[in-house]
Amino acid sequence: MENIQMLLKQGAVGKPCAPIVAVGDKVKRGQLIATPTGLGANVHSSVSGEVIDITEDRIIIKPNAKQPKTFEKIKKGSNLEMIKEAGIIGQGGAGFPTFIKIYNGKEDKPVLDHGYILVNASECEPGLAHNIAQIDADPEMLLRGIHYLMEIAGADKGIIAIKKKHRETIEKLDALLKDDPAIERHLLPDIYPMGEERAVVRECLGIELEPDKLPSAANAVVINSETVYSCAKAIEERKPLIDKNITVRGMIKGGNEAHVFMDVPVGRSVQALIDEAGGFDERGYGEVIMGGSFTGKACELGDPITKATGAILVTRQFRDLHGAKVGILVCACGGNLERMEDLVAKYNGTVGHVCYCKQAAEMPNGTRKCERPGNCPGQVKNNLEFKKAGCEYIIIGNCSDCSNTVMASGPKMGLKVMHMTDLAMMAVGHPLYRTLKVSKKVSQDLNVVDNVEDNETVE
Amino acid sequence: MSITAETAKQHANDPAVLCCRAEAGTELTPANFEDPAIFPDLVDSGLLNLDGALKLGQVLNGSKLTKTVDSLTPITPDIVDKYDAAEEEAEEAPAVEEAAVEAPVAAAPAFAAPAAGGYISLHIGEGKNIDIQIPAGIGGGAVAAPVAAAPAAAAAAAPAAAEETGEAVVVREMTRKHYKIDKVVLGDETKIEGTTLYVRKAAATEGAEAQKLVHSLELDVITPDNYHVYSETVMDIQPIATKEDDYELGEGVTRVLDGVVMVVTGITEEGVQVGEFGSSEGYIDENMMWGRPGAVDKGEIMIRAHAVIDNKKNMERPGPIAIHTAVDHVTQEIRNAMKKDLTDDMVVETQTMKQVRRPGKKKIVIVKEIMGQGAMHDNFLFPTEPVGVLGAKPNVDLGNVPVAANPLEVMDGCIHALTCIGPASKEMSRHYWREPLVYEAIHDDDVDLVGVIFVGSPQANTDKFYVSRRLGQMVESMNVDGAFVTTEGFGNNHVDFTSHIEQIGKRGVPVVGFSFCAVQGALVTGNKYCDAMVDNNKSMSGIENEVLACNTLCHEDAIRGLAMLKAKMAGETIKAPERQYTHAVKENNVELIEKAYGTKMELVENEQSLPISEKRKAKYD
Repeated sequence: MENIQMLLKQGAVGKPCAPIVAVGDKVKRGQLIATPTGLGANVHSSVSGEVIDITEDRIIIKPNAKQPKTFEKIKKGSNLEMIKEAGIIGQGGAGFPTFIKIYNGKEDKPVLDHGYILVNASECEPGLAHNIAQIDADPEMLLRGIHYLMEIAGADKGIIAIKKKHRETIEKLDALLKDDPAIERHLLPDIYPMGEERAVVRECLGIELEPDKLPSAANAVVINSETVYSCAKAIEERKPLIDKNITVRGMIKGGNEAHVFMDVPVGRSVQALIDEAGGFDERGYGEVIMGGSFTGKACELGDPITKATGAILVTRQFRDLHGAKVGILVCACGGNLERMEDLVAKYNGTVGHVCYCKQAAEMPNGTRKCERPGNCPGQVKNNLEFKKAGCEYIIIGNCSDCSNTVMASGPKMGLKVMHMTDLAMMAVGHPLYRTLKVSKKVSQDLNVVDNVEDNETVE
Repeated sequence: MSITAETAKQHANDPAVLCCRAEAGTELTPANFEDPAIFPDLVDSGLLNLDGALKLGQVLNGSKLTKTVDSLTPITPDIVDKYDAAEEEAEEAPAVEEAAVEAPVAAAPAFAAPAAGGYISLHIGEGKNIDIQIPAGIGGGAVAAPVAAAPAAAAAAAPAAAEETGEAVVVREMTRKHYKIDKVVLGDETKIEGTTLYVRKAAATEGAEAQKLVHSLELDVITPDNYHVYSETVMDIQPIATKEDDYELGEGVTRVLDGVVMVVTGITEEGVQVGEFGSSEGYIDENMMWGRPGAVDKGEIMIRAHAVIDNKKNMERPGPIAIHTAVDHVTQEIRNAMKKDLTDDMVVETQTMKQVRRPGKKKIVIVKEIMGQGAMHDNFLFPTEPVGVLGAKPNVDLGNVPVAANPLEVMDGCIHALTCIGPASKEMSRHYWREPLVYEAIHDDDVDLVGVIFVGSPQANTDKFYVSRRLGQMVESMNVDGAFVTTEGFGNNHVDFTSHIEQIGKRGVPVVGFSFCAVQGALVTGNKYCDAMVDNNKSMSGIENEVLACNTLCHEDAIRGLAMLKAKMAGETIKAPERQYTHAVKENNVELIEKAYGTKMELVENEQSLPISEKRKAKYD
């Protein structure tokens, strides 16, 4: 195994942890190696080996040739204490420390007032498969995890939000839920961004939160399904969060099926996982994205995966636009301006104009959140601007509904529309985000067939 | 873009078009609809066909879609379960002509309500063609439609005197003594003998020597028998006048020479014209719009002072300032001769000018936006002598903040204009000396002109809004019933121009704006208070045609503006103009005014009355 790089900051939020080991130390798999200095969570070594370097942002461990299946168990304690001790952060992407989400420091007053644990099992980013695979393999543990969290957070109800297309998995859940009245499931349509935190709240509870509000404003905690498993393992097995489930997919030798790797030690490199999946397709590739195609970022092959990494996507090669003017439509659902500019450069385009979706509200920290995720505010005005600015192409990162609106006027104006996910979608064999033909609402009855006039197939 | 309930209400009578895909069963709300402000652009580009579309006001009362339809679909009766009946439109859209027949007050077109995303295209053909596109929506995110002109024949004022018995009050008066000059001779001494003005040639050299940036300043005389003289761009045209005794501007006695004006021209050593956005160089008879308030009248003698300055200083403030200061050295010598040599028996006409207040009548204020972007754009305010330099403060140095003047000060030359914007729309020093809006307002028995405010137009947007807010507060404290805001040039200055209108308008004061707009100068920004505008355009093609003073504010514009403001103050609605600029708006309004007042309006000629220059032939007409 290659050297393991444990980043001191594992999620997108919070402060880096401080190492508590030194170079030369022998560490065991599961051993605590760094602790928080502010907002953050414990970091444990995912392998047994020797610390060979500690840099500003990471601890580098040379793994022993033989790795144990077992791990150093965390200290015994209350369920909450063990979740905290295990260093669990949200595994859906942002990596917010889980114990802070479910505990407010008040013994007598939990974060929720007879509220809801909403389990995000939407696996919203297209092409990913590890969340559903995990539920499919062990639905019971998911339910146990939900109950642990409900108890800690003060919830009366748990709701599993899952896309209706996963029929077999849903049937397994339904069979268990018959005897578990505190938990139900909510079926979602297969459109982006059903997994956006506030979209989950809206779909499950019918409450539209302002962009600057947290789900707690709707008396709910939204938690990714893999995170629920990690909590259950911390409580039942005293296991720290050291392994991660990952989907590796795209321009991989042998085809574009999803390679789902369960329990990959955190800190392994992107290159190693691509190699394990079969290596790069000999036809070449465009870029490697760590995370989903909407919210992830291009990465280097030596980069390590973190507790929050869900996917490694290898995209198709970039077309050469020969410097053509490209308009960028920035929204909150897809890449930020920096990411979009990166893509335009990779396409060898020139940024001709930048517009922001009307609903992409800027937050105090500079990020953007959509005011009504998945419900378009209209886009033709932006297209008029792009046209007037002389753009030949536009690149968008919008959700299914907004992309559909862009398509309603863009091509008629002579704008060639590209979606930031195109090369990844082609690589994984997913329809491109263009027009929307399916309904944004689905019947909660698994046996009712919804309007499934499918989107155009790839290429 | 989806709209708010408020916007939906404003556009209740505009077509209902979905902004996004909406599924069958959706109950329609404002968030489902596209902003009607951008429809014209969509229709123009073939993206939208509004035939048969229901209006917003008809479908926001619980109407549900019966079919899933995509973005930019107009709501038609076949895709909703129900809709309200259309409101009676009769009172909504009075044709301009009909209104004129029925009532003395007619609605009049104006600037279209703020739109949400259009483009202003400028085309400047100068050697190589240059296309400029200004994305609309600077500042307030609004956009301009072509500004069209139009007043209402607001004659409701006629019987207004019934309840007001207040007499007109003369606040102050001054005298202008006119002296005739029919010959100008350049020589060794500056003096006036009879009707001959002698100007010492060396005065120009001395004026130039005192200015580091001025390489040379030369005088020559252009006489009416030969106006076909080549001239570099005309920077300014100035009356030659002086105060008697120690009187200040706007009081006492002013002596003025009739039949002669100072004409300032300038280039750099390399031969670059001192001007921006066009220049008026060429044969004078082809490039001078005779008789405009700011221009030369046919028959007048021009003393041309031509300066050559340092390279690159043509676009920097010190360059034009140096030229004007050098020229004023000559003019001041003439003024001194006027004080010495002119006697009362030489007076050909005495004019008593009165500032009149009319208590009880609608109080109005005139706001004149003057250029203050620095670079070459500046104005000297309140010199000691009419249109002098000494004693004046540049408005750029004053921070462009609003400064109040009385009407007599304005017409006594309190502005020495250093404006170098487009020749056709710039207000030169002589313009203020004969300012038609001040003249018409003070002679209008229906209104009480409280004063004139000058406000500079700074370069930076933050400064623009700074001065604009001060202006709004100043106007608020005047407690007026109506206001005019005028500007010169177009483009950059329209940002503060429209902001001035907003600052005044949002205080509940009806505002009428004056600007050259037409085809080329459509507002780059706008707001909901910009609904009454008079377009100063006179040119046939609606452009900045580089014919000096062609598109400046004239008496006919002042009369239209007064009619429009009176209509607005009386609560009349000013009708929106066509989307594309058309002369018809002005023509209709003139017709309305003529009918309402029973008078004939004489309209000034435009560049078509001049011999066509090669430049104009090549670039414009």
